[in-house]
Amino acid sequence: MKPRITLLLGDRNGIGPELAAKLLADDSVYEKAEIEVMGDPAVLAEGLAVIGSNANQNRYRVTEFLPVDGIQTTRAKETAEAGAEMLACLSHAAKRVAAGEADGVVFAPLNKQAMHMGGLVHDDEMRFIANELGYTGAFGELNVLDKLWTTRVTSHVPLKDVAANITSEAVLVSTRFADETLRAAGFEKPRVAVAALNPHAGDGGNFGREEIDIIAPAVEKARAEGLEVEGPYPSDTVFVRAQRGQHDAVVTMYHDQGQIAMKLMGFGQGVTVLGGLPVPITTCGHGTGYDIAGQGIATEKAIQNAFAICVDMARSRLAAV
Amino acid sequence: MISHGATSHGALPVVITPGEPAGIGAEITLAAWADHRSELPAFALIEDPSRLTALAKTLGIAVPVVTIDDIAQATAHFADALPVLATEYTAPIKAGHPDPANAATVIAAIEQAVALVQSGKAAAVVTNPIQKSSLHAAGFKHPGHTEFLAELAGPGVQPVMMLACPELRVVPATIHVALTEAPRLLSRELIVELGRITAEGLARDFAIPNPRIAVAGLNPHAGEEGGMGREEIDMIRPAVEDLKKLGIDAFGPEPPDTMFHAEARARYDAALCMYHDQALIPIKTVDFWGGINVTLGLPFVRTSPDHGTGLAIAGTGTADCRSLVAAIGQAARMAARRAAADLNAGANSKAGA
Repeated sequence: MKPRITLLLGDRNGIGPELAAKLLADDSVYEKAEIEVMGDPAVLAEGLAVIGSNANQNRYRVTEFLPVDGIQTTRAKETAEAGAEMLACLSHAAKRVAAGEADGVVFAPLNKQAMHMGGLVHDDEMRFIANELGYTGAFGELNVLDKLWTTRVTSHVPLKDVAANITSEAVLVSTRFADETLRAAGFEKPRVAVAALNPHAGDGGNFGREEIDIIAPAVEKARAEGLEVEGPYPSDTVFVRAQRGQHDAVVTMYHDQGQIAMKLMGFGQGVTVLGGLPVPITTCGHGTGYDIAGQGIATEKAIQNAFAICVDMARSRLAAV
Repeated sequence: MISHGATSHGALPVVITPGEPAGIGAEITLAAWADHRSELPAFALIEDPSRLTALAKTLGIAVPVVTIDDIAQATAHFADALPVLATEYTAPIKAGHPDPANAATVIAAIEQAVALVQSGKAAAVVTNPIQKSSLHAAGFKHPGHTEFLAELAGPGVQPVMMLACPELRVVPATIHVALTEAPRLLSRELIVELGRITAEGLARDFAIPNPRIAVAGLNPHAGEEGGMGREEIDMIRPAVEDLKKLGIDAFGPEPPDTMFHAEARARYDAALCMYHDQALIPIKTVDFWGGINVTLGLPFVRTSPDHGTGLAIAGTGTADCRSLVAAIGQAARMAARRAAADLNAGANSKAGA
């Protein structure tokens, strides 16, 4: 059975609608999933007009969902109305998967500022969705490029505060989380590498002791739990090893450790997976591209990758039921 | 400084230090000569000739070794044999097992190489990797190669480490310190100083007349206007303004994760990075084998491969010589530019220099 994937148009004022249109124009997606576009049909029509194609119109379903009265598209502007629409769509789509009416959600880029203007009180959409689903378990964002997944122990914190937030428990939680999420995406036994914090992995304690005191013990614990985990590895070579296929995932210690390598290896192609939630949800790693919105030049690579990963996750979830 | 880079006999030889003898330095130098000599300038290695010959035999690399007592002889021999300036080790060399008893020889070789380049007999110094722990155990007081070379160069020298490959150049503002220390060691003055020396170095040694310097932020998203750290606002942005006032084409602070992909790299000639891995992750990911280490700010040219001593694989012949080969080639090009500049300056000040 093909998984049923709900496609959301994202921020109607950015490149989301045209990316959705490009995804729908790709014949191959219908072999993998049943696709339903949920949102404002007029916005989908805007996206289709931008790319100048109505291909495959009979192959996907459009489910009208109009949560915000009188909303207009104002390209390249953050608006409270668009923000409210994004939030309502996310909530509705996630709840429908939880209720068994769909199997996964792919959404086009969102605009965080617009969502805050539109009523988002959480730090990000992930916490919002968890709250809407009443989900209290562990969850977190993963970044995926080709076959390489990364997760991070700390994220949006000043660099000077990173080390204070690195605990054995936090490393272990991120490592387990990487393992679980990759299993949920169809990896049988994910090979996880844990990055070091300091240059040269601390050089035997000369440039920091976190590897010895905190990270290595967490790796040992994860291995004792039966996970295929190695590390800590110096962060300047761990991505090279991963790129060569030696690891499926890298647990990074801070935001830029993973993001520098991932964006260098495939700028604009990365995928963000909202891991841990009871609902498969993925999106593009890039933003709403206001500077190029409406021109039809935005590349669909990331949303295609996000779709493919969501299909894998939805399949695994269906198989597990 | 006197003009000495170019003579009527052509370019001077490059002098190569042995680095840690228990590491891969000797074998990658043998491989560089064996496989790449036609594309490289003449160079001489400071080594124990008998142990080098034995090593070549063990590894099955056909490298004739010729002992010379004046580096000037290197050029004449280079096509047929690897020229060696003889030195002796105190303790026997065991691959993979550094012996602090040999530290004095390792250090003396660096001093000899610097003396050769300072006296105008060598074009440039290329250093093989040293094992710092072994040298420190023997009483070596300097944190690393670069600081030692700066001291040998004389007072007032501020060395700057730059890592370079054909696609990217990076300068880490802080290097071998714990990540938690890095933010405390940064200052507006340091960033300005490094930016200035980098710009001068690129102009002088890389023939880039008006180098564009991208200055990285420290925090995720370059701090997002203070939401995730204030160093960008309090220190990095003012430093960039200072650099601009000095006439340097600097910009930033840039969000670190979006400044290293190909399109972004096209906007600058060097990236000034705030901590070791911010510089090393991109360069190793872009070019794992071809990266080299260049010391800017010295009165002479010095480059080195950007890897370590490779103790785990020393003696097995599996070490890759590409970084050393790139370092030798780069050193020669830098030396030629300095020589040409010195010649011009000399011609202007006194005829027939």
